[in-house]
Amino acid sequence: MDRRNKRILQTTLIIVVVLGIIVSLYLYAGQRAFVSTIFSGLTLGSLFFLVAAGLTLIFGLMDVLNFAHGSMFMLGAYIGWQFYTNPTFIFGVAPLALAFGTGVMFISVLKPYLIAWNLTPRMQKLLPTIAYILAAVVIVFAVLGFDILGLANTAMVAMTTTTVGNPLAEISPQEPLAEFWIRPVLMMLGGLLIAFGSSKPGDKTQYAPKENLGKAMLLPAILLVVTVVSIFIRESAPVSVLLMNGNIRFLLSILVSVAFGFVFGAVIEIILIRPLYARPTFIILMTLGLSYVIRELVQFLWDPLTYQMARPPLFAMPGKAASIGEWLQNGNSTIDILGATVPTYRLFIIALGIVMFALVTLLMTKTRLGMIIRAGVQDPEMVEAMGINVKSVFTLVFALGVALATLGGIGAAPFLPVQPLMGDAYQTQGLITVVIGGMGSYVGAFVGAMILGMARAFGDYFALKLSLSPAIAEASTVIIMVIVLLTRPQGLFGSKE
Amino acid sequence: MSEVNHDDLLNVDNIHTFIGQFHILEGVSVRVKKGSITVMLGRNGAGKTTTLKSIIGLTPPREGKIIFDGMEIQGKRPYNIANLGIGYVPEHRAIFRQLSVLENLKLAERKKGDFERSSEFIFKLFPDLKRLYKLPGNHLSGGQQQMLAVARALVPENKLLLIDEPSEGLAPILIQQMMEAIETLSHTTTILLVEQNFIMASQLAKQYVIIDDGKSVSSGSIKDLVLQPEVIHRYLGASIKTRKELEMEHGSEE
Repeated sequence: MDRRNKRILQTTLIIVVVLGIIVSLYLYAGQRAFVSTIFSGLTLGSLFFLVAAGLTLIFGLMDVLNFAHGSMFMLGAYIGWQFYTNPTFIFGVAPLALAFGTGVMFISVLKPYLIAWNLTPRMQKLLPTIAYILAAVVIVFAVLGFDILGLANTAMVAMTTTTVGNPLAEISPQEPLAEFWIRPVLMMLGGLLIAFGSSKPGDKTQYAPKENLGKAMLLPAILLVVTVVSIFIRESAPVSVLLMNGNIRFLLSILVSVAFGFVFGAVIEIILIRPLYARPTFIILMTLGLSYVIRELVQFLWDPLTYQMARPPLFAMPGKAASIGEWLQNGNSTIDILGATVPTYRLFIIALGIVMFALVTLLMTKTRLGMIIRAGVQDPEMVEAMGINVKSVFTLVFALGVALATLGGIGAAPFLPVQPLMGDAYQTQGLITVVIGGMGSYVGAFVGAMILGMARAFGDYFALKLSLSPAIAEASTVIIMVIVLLTRPQGLFGSKE
Repeated sequence: MSEVNHDDLLNVDNIHTFIGQFHILEGVSVRVKKGSITVMLGRNGAGKTTTLKSIIGLTPPREGKIIFDGMEIQGKRPYNIANLGIGYVPEHRAIFRQLSVLENLKLAERKKGDFERSSEFIFKLFPDLKRLYKLPGNHLSGGQQQMLAVARALVPENKLLLIDEPSEGLAPILIQQMMEAIETLSHTTTILLVEQNFIMASQLAKQYVIIDDGKSVSSGSIKDLVLQPEVIHRYLGASIKTRKELEMEHGSEE
């Protein structure tokens, strides 16, 4: 009973302190400044949450600290920006990526037959090596002479030639189909060779039943159809996307960005992280290196420049709306809330953060996958021993985490300058959020993100008002982290273990 | 494979298991007959837990064969092995503490409806769990956690249960209840049990295997073992609870 009283006392104390801070800030800043600062805090908090949620889930379940999360956030912004501004690049590259993916996915069909081969141990080692080398050669031939920079340029050109809201860019002519078709075919061959190699022909210690082959065929078959379609629409699709209503196009960019993040995350987990689970320090170095690779790749494709993505029409009309109804009707760029002028796009980001928090909560508490994740945070071995394929759950969670980061990226793209370093600040803040909230706790990530967002927003406010250095806002988040670490080392919502 | 005995549900044949650089199992053979309890005896650190983990695939053996239900399972991933119909109850009551009792049981489902099918049986065996099913695992007492750990293995249809020291750290009255539960289970499932408490083990099991220093050194019918005090003394020595110890435990309860 004593412990319970102590807890009640603690909770009351915290509530009183928080209310006291809020009231004194309100009295000090006045209503208008207070409201607008609160909204910028919520905006930042939502973005921090989208980065931190993935980080904390991935860390909680697999003890992997992903230092490339900020770069994935940035990549999400670039993909979304490309799709929104001029999707020629995305539709131009898609056939190659899809063809390669289709080839690799055929592993589930090939494997049961390949491992049944009778091979000498020497051949078992030799065959995969030969397959990988052949795959590399084939892929080089597939992309030889492919004008990827020309494709990447299309969106950069579109930036300078089009008006806000409906940028119908000139479509640069692409290779005719008669020359292009060989590329996806070679890419698929490369993918098949990699599938051949990584299914380890002749390795009898592996287990791959032939019974559910029909089910295994499904995914590669669908991908094959999508690939073929993508080959034929690569020139016409960008035009029809650009002719769409800007709001729908923005919604599609979000979907494309999230889908890209999911697939990209799954690929990274399978190829780069899975072989390193036994060596956790290597994973940290690897993700750190990956973040540089992603950044350099982006600079190679789109130059180290800063782009400003146009806001979708719903948030683009200059002028202030008096009410939410007026905003939704006219698409004003700002809205009047309690006397303060708040950019409408911020409301969208805040809504995005809150909706995602609700969805993550639902996923974790109501679904079987959530149950598996919560159990796996404690003891992944036991989860596996109960008959659950933990490796594929790891892949799924990593993919979901990266998808959340890319969602944050595209969400932020119309609001932040799109440039290769835009993710770095979010990487740092995301890590601080995870530490404050407690490793592995998504509720902690949300609360931590909101605390940090508020600290940044009010830090900026005070810096401006009292003529202090703007660094005070950044420092405030680190100070909060230090205080939390000193008083509650496991984080606000972390479990003691 | 020439001497396949069709009474054997599980045949662990001379396995060698390494953990890191350490050669933990240096030739363990265990045969488990269908429809009975086989008990694995041995001192602490002899390799009993590692043997169970090798069977389920958590510490896969480097050499040797494990044949379950006529199929070689060594080298398969643990989830594949479990899905063949092996339930594993680890030592130290490794339940999921952040999950409620109900979630712990639901998580063990392999097919939809497993829990609906088995819940009646489980709650009859462990009535406590029905009362507590909404509580998170970390609010349960040690005995209740152990019951939950066993109950979890009963949710899917298993042909074989691997149970690691179910009586460890339990109060004598709970040990009795646990042993009765395992007795009941043995009517429907085959069980491979690790148990330090020799007296209890000898009441439950028909067959025994003694593991000593990473090797299986003796096996056979438990009735014969009781007649061989020198074997018991040599391999189990300190680990057998003497009558005096048992009396002391009962004394402390009062």
